[in-house]
Amino acid sequence: MLTGKNVLITGSNRGIGKAFVEAFAKRQCNIWACARKHSEEFETQMAEIASQNGVWIRPVYFELTDSEEMKAAIKQVLKSGENIDVLINNAGIAHGGLFSMTRMQTIREVFDINVFAPMELAQLVLRKMMRQKSGSIINMSSVAALNVRAGNSAYGTSKAAVKAWTAVLGAETAQYGIRVNAIAPSLTDTDMGRTVQENAGENRLLPSAMGRMAKAEEIANVAVFLASDEASFVNGETIVVNGGGDCD
Amino acid sequence: MTNKEKYVNAFTETFDITEEETQGLQYSGIAAWDSVGHMSLVAALEDAFDIMMDTDDIIDFSSFEKGMEILSEKYDVEF
Repeated sequence: MLTGKNVLITGSNRGIGKAFVEAFAKRQCNIWACARKHSEEFETQMAEIASQNGVWIRPVYFELTDSEEMKAAIKQVLKSGENIDVLINNAGIAHGGLFSMTRMQTIREVFDINVFAPMELAQLVLRKMMRQKSGSIINMSSVAALNVRAGNSAYGTSKAAVKAWTAVLGAETAQYGIRVNAIAPSLTDTDMGRTVQENAGENRLLPSAMGRMAKAEEIANVAVFLASDEASFVNGETIVVNGGGDCD
Repeated sequence: MTNKEKYVNAFTETFDITEEETQGLQYSGIAAWDSVGHMSLVAALEDAFDIMMDTDDIIDFSSFEKGMEILSEKYDVEF
């Protein structure tokens, strides 16, 4: 179903992003694996995954908050002449804290990375997708966008913005054959998820009705579905992946 | 093909108009040059000149003549 598709993934060096790389490579997709900085470990990991699955994975480096770096990187991707079939705006940062105890600078940083960078990247990639008359964009929202909870004024509202933007963009791009959806995971068993849980202290987040955190590959499997033609009539939606219940 | 011819072609092929009709043409001046047509025009120009336009320039691209000015000043396209 996805064989031969080309996927661009941000934040692909660890956590859910790395799971995305593995899941799409396993489905015979080629990947531009984006990360902030070059590292031998990352290059080796990507080469191994590519080799195991018989696909190409090209590391792409840029700082999400640096427009010029991002533009130069995407220009290189476009120069390859390959279609960009799927864009996964995965990279993001977490932050918890009461609104009155959160610096405005911090809120801006969270929005820069979680909202404005995905928007900017989508503007660049969309022009290619519009020419192709096809494409799938998958954004990362969060259950924090849906559950009202003290301490979520930066992260939760940024992810709520992603959810709203996803719906709007899906409405705008449908005419070009481009679907835009988001995933709203609950707490996921990654470095970031564990750190969030540790920092929560007494306010530890509820793991899920299943009594555990999500596995990164369980989130990736939903992205695989959304990217595929199996989801051909799913557009502008945010899919909650939380193991059931009203959890975080 | 000269750059001017490539530029005119992008308009005539995208909007299905004649070369004469491109002169003085403004955004929204014809039904085909709406927001959807605008993105198709940008795509055609990016392909023709192997450039990647900034969003600000796409927004400022308000007429046939203004487009030439933007491409010339910011993307080194000589007409």
